[in-house]
Amino acid sequence: MGFLKLPVKNLLRHRTRSILTMCGIAASVAVLFSILSFNKGFEKSLAREIKRTGIHFMVVPSGCAHEVASLVLHGAVIPKFLDTSVVDHIKKIDGIEIISPLLVAQLPNPGKGRIDLVYGIEMSHLAALKPSWELDGTVPAADDEILMGAEVASHYGIRPGGSLSYPTVNATFKVSGIVKKTASQDDAFIYMHVKKAQEIFKKPSGATAVGIKVTNPQSVSEITEALSERIPGIQIVTMNQVVNSISNLAASGKVISLSIAFIAVFISAVGVMNSILMAVFERTQEIGMMRAIGASKADIFKIIVKETTLLTLSGGVAGILMSAVGSRGIETFVRRFMPYVPGGNVVTFEPALACASLAFTFIIGIASGLYPAWKASKINPIEAIKG
Amino acid sequence: MIELRGVEKTYLRGAEEVHALRGLDLDITRNEFISIMGPSGAGKTTLLHILGCLDTPTGGSVKFDNLAVEHMPETDLVALRRQKIGFIFQQFYLIPGLTVFDNVGLPLLFNKSSKKNGATGNRIMSLLDTVGLTERRHHLPNQLSGGEMQRVAIARALVNNPEIILADEPTGNLDSENSERILELLKSLKADGLTVVMITHNGELASRADRLVRLKDGKIHLA
Repeated sequence: MGFLKLPVKNLLRHRTRSILTMCGIAASVAVLFSILSFNKGFEKSLAREIKRTGIHFMVVPSGCAHEVASLVLHGAVIPKFLDTSVVDHIKKIDGIEIISPLLVAQLPNPGKGRIDLVYGIEMSHLAALKPSWELDGTVPAADDEILMGAEVASHYGIRPGGSLSYPTVNATFKVSGIVKKTASQDDAFIYMHVKKAQEIFKKPSGATAVGIKVTNPQSVSEITEALSERIPGIQIVTMNQVVNSISNLAASGKVISLSIAFIAVFISAVGVMNSILMAVFERTQEIGMMRAIGASKADIFKIIVKETTLLTLSGGVAGILMSAVGSRGIETFVRRFMPYVPGGNVVTFEPALACASLAFTFIIGIASGLYPAWKASKINPIEAIKG
Repeated sequence: MIELRGVEKTYLRGAEEVHALRGLDLDITRNEFISIMGPSGAGKTTLLHILGCLDTPTGGSVKFDNLAVEHMPETDLVALRRQKIGFIFQQFYLIPGLTVFDNVGLPLLFNKSSKKNGATGNRIMSLLDTVGLTERRHHLPNQLSGGEMQRVAIARALVNNPEIILADEPTGNLDSENSERILELLKSLKADGLTVVMITHNGELASRADRLVRLKDGKIHLA
């Protein structure tokens, strides 16, 4: 008989209790693993999404950088606009490859019961600013042509070549193309020529931001310093700052959720300790007998620690599997409640993270087994076998 | 083999001091079958625990193969129990989740030397054959009768090749037919060269041992 058989058989003697205890561990480890996966995936997806914007920094009206980050990536409305005359000033700075005014605003469509997000952009810059996009159709050429994100197109049930009317601004657009699903915020926008957007929103020289791509990324700080000195009333937000702003916004949520997960693991570890302690008390005579037939205190200690570790590890594996299987559901849930979540699959299965979670569960298992194991090893065989 | 001189055992039961053994002298020679009888509270079980190195006396000396055990460290006592002593209990104490085969092999789990020399499976099968339970090796304890459970416990006590078997009322929970069978088994162990010490309340069974020791009030009344 191997040394694992006895702990396994002991756990199986009280199946229901063992399974319930294991479920407690599984649930808490699933929460922990999901949160860790989400946090890791969030950072990765954010970096990927920022990289995909194709710009190095944005010039925005002076104000809160957090608002700008939210605006460009999420489509919020801020009633502050830049005057596009800044473009002329920016052009005077060396080392700039693309200067693209962006106008982001909401456009109601009461007939359809929707408020759409419009993204005014210079269509000639689209390939440079959105290099990863794949289009079904073509880039808008005429002013009354638009490009639709996959999500919004699907909602309207429009195919390339279709048309979309906005009676509130007395405009009808021809859909020249649809951006294939990016699993990001890009799917929710309607893209049109920035000039047309300025016209329908009655901001002929207004822009929410000006996206800048430089020829040499190493010179970003040099160029931003020069811009700040020369153009008053603007604020420059680099993509790194955007990442930091969003990360900082998400940080407190991450800390709270991780704390809750750790508390859940702690509570389930106490449950394991309680369950094993009960089993030890129930088996007092048996443990006394084992001591009589040659088991040392260390042998008894090891048996109980193994039982606890087996219980927590199997709970840990079940929890990770639950989390992996339910990752899509978790992502949908998180997206519903978090103000900004980058596109793509944020909750992904990371083997290294799974191993780390299992190692953590292993430590928890050993820790929660120490007290019951110590109690078991202290059982006096004479008292125990007296009955 | 075992020599007890002036053995005292006193313990506290609440505030009351209980003298379980009072200056007891006893010699157990190798390959002897001794039965110990006495009324409840006479100190029979305390004596068995001291003989089995589960307990130490509060006075006097105990020698096991000329080794003084009363001041032996716990690790040495554990080794002594593993290698030289086999216990049989009235309540059998079989582990419910383990098969007959695994219950018999349980002491081997704690005996590092048995793992080194291997052949543990053959040893268990041979013992199951001795106690007549080969066919029941895959059964769980709750599928056995009382007599069968005690025979499993006897096989378990023998698996480490002990020199002495200490049986605490091994027939206490059995009917006369099974009691007879267990006694015959213990006698056959004696015939195979083992030393057997049996506590019993059954005078008829006790009288069939080589020597009968009667205890009363912690002292040997008649040996």
